[in-house]
Amino acid sequence: MIRVVTLDPYDDKQLAKFSRTLYTAFGVGSEHSGLVELPAGLSEPLNAEKVLEQVKGVRAYKDDKVLYLTARKLKERELPSGSAPTLGFARFGKDKAIISSHGYKDLEVGYKPVSRHALHQLGHLWELHHCLDPRCSMYPPWTPSFAAGEPTFCTFCREKSEQKIRLAKS
Amino acid sequence: MPEGLQIAVGDRVVYPNQGVCLVSAIDVKEVAGQRLTFVTMRREEDGAVVMVPQAKVQTIGVRKVATPEEVEQIYGFLRSDSDKADLDWKQRARTNLDRMTQGGILGLAEVVKGLQVLSELRPLPTKERELYDNARHLLVSEVAAALNIPEVNAEDSIDIVLFPPGRERPKRTVAEFKPRGEGEEEELGLDGELLGLDGELDLPPEEEEAPPEEEEAAEEAGGEEEEAPKGRKKAAPAAEAGAEGEPPKRKRGRPPKPKPEGEAAAAPAVPKKRGRPPKPKPEGEAAAPAAPKKRGRPPKKKPEGETE
Repeated sequence: MIRVVTLDPYDDKQLAKFSRTLYTAFGVGSEHSGLVELPAGLSEPLNAEKVLEQVKGVRAYKDDKVLYLTARKLKERELPSGSAPTLGFARFGKDKAIISSHGYKDLEVGYKPVSRHALHQLGHLWELHHCLDPRCSMYPPWTPSFAAGEPTFCTFCREKSEQKIRLAKS
Repeated sequence: MPEGLQIAVGDRVVYPNQGVCLVSAIDVKEVAGQRLTFVTMRREEDGAVVMVPQAKVQTIGVRKVATPEEVEQIYGFLRSDSDKADLDWKQRARTNLDRMTQGGILGLAEVVKGLQVLSELRPLPTKERELYDNARHLLVSEVAAALNIPEVNAEDSIDIVLFPPGRERPKRTVAEFKPRGEGEEEELGLDGELLGLDGELDLPPEEEEAPPEEEEAAEEAGGEEEEAPKGRKKAAPAAEAGAEGEPPKRKRGRPPKPKPEGEAAAAPAVPKKRGRPPKPKPEGEAAAPAAPKKRGRPPKKKPEGETE
């Protein structure tokens, strides 16, 4: 089950459409599980790793994946080889991810890129690596063509995610 | 214990093709009457346990996790314009296998970089896509272990180099993949067709280069039915070879019967009926329909004396 938790207010209809996209991509249930407060002491741009560490959890089963959605900007990460533009963050194989809809007025306007980022981060939660296919949502998200693509996976990534989900269920 | 590698309990090592492991014990066990020292390693990813005799630790390629300096070198290698992957799939598969097992972290980086650059020329076949994913997974987990950072950050640090932000991946051409020294042949007027590059690339990636396992499987399962398409596939290169002056490869099996010259140009033959050919009819009886032949034993001839 994918639980979408908002850190800022969003329109319910748009969230329902967003959840349907996630359901279509992964084949597991997806629903909006409410709004939670952002942890105190964090200022914009948000440090994604700290938010995931400090944010209040929601009731979920062990194999559920929780996706936090915020309208605020996320801070670029400083990595050993340079700084990485950050529109989302997820720990590989864990259960929590965060994405930002910063730069779009609402989910309706930024439906495709935000959904694609959501698929990308949830893919990392199911242990998918970056993909070589520019049409796949697991393509590196800082490339110019990423935002223009459809929220779908390539055959390889879809099959791998299905396999991981099956293994998690059994 | 081999001289080059000193392992102690608590060390992090890399088992080739398996990933980062933690040495959990080194103890002596009696196996088949022999007392052997075993190194027990636990894979960090999923906790799988493997026990290796201490004498064989180095021969199977177990090594220490790379240092941060080595990781820096890896970033430098990924940034550089290195040699392109071999276009010959057999050669490439062999090289990549060696790199994965014996190449260390640089070998993993070479596989990832080589296949990534190749994918800019054409989509990777399924087997190579899987190999790319495995190599990337092992590289990411080793970089994460070496720098003590989350795997996602390790992967992003690699991909920032491979896919620089704000830039699309370039489209490659076959010319870029030619080994150095082949430029002289171009000056001689040998184009891609004669070199056998263009014809090879026209095929879709899956069909063009069947991995060896698939080919073997097809041969085993195929039998006689598989031979026809294979023959067709091989016919074209054979014809090309003939044009270049080389003797064509001999086909396996019985050679086809030579056709008589008179029949060669004739109209397509009527499909031959199976079974015994019909008897030629005598000319006189052609008009009268033959009496139906009685079944059973023919009547005995009566002796001539008994006629009256």
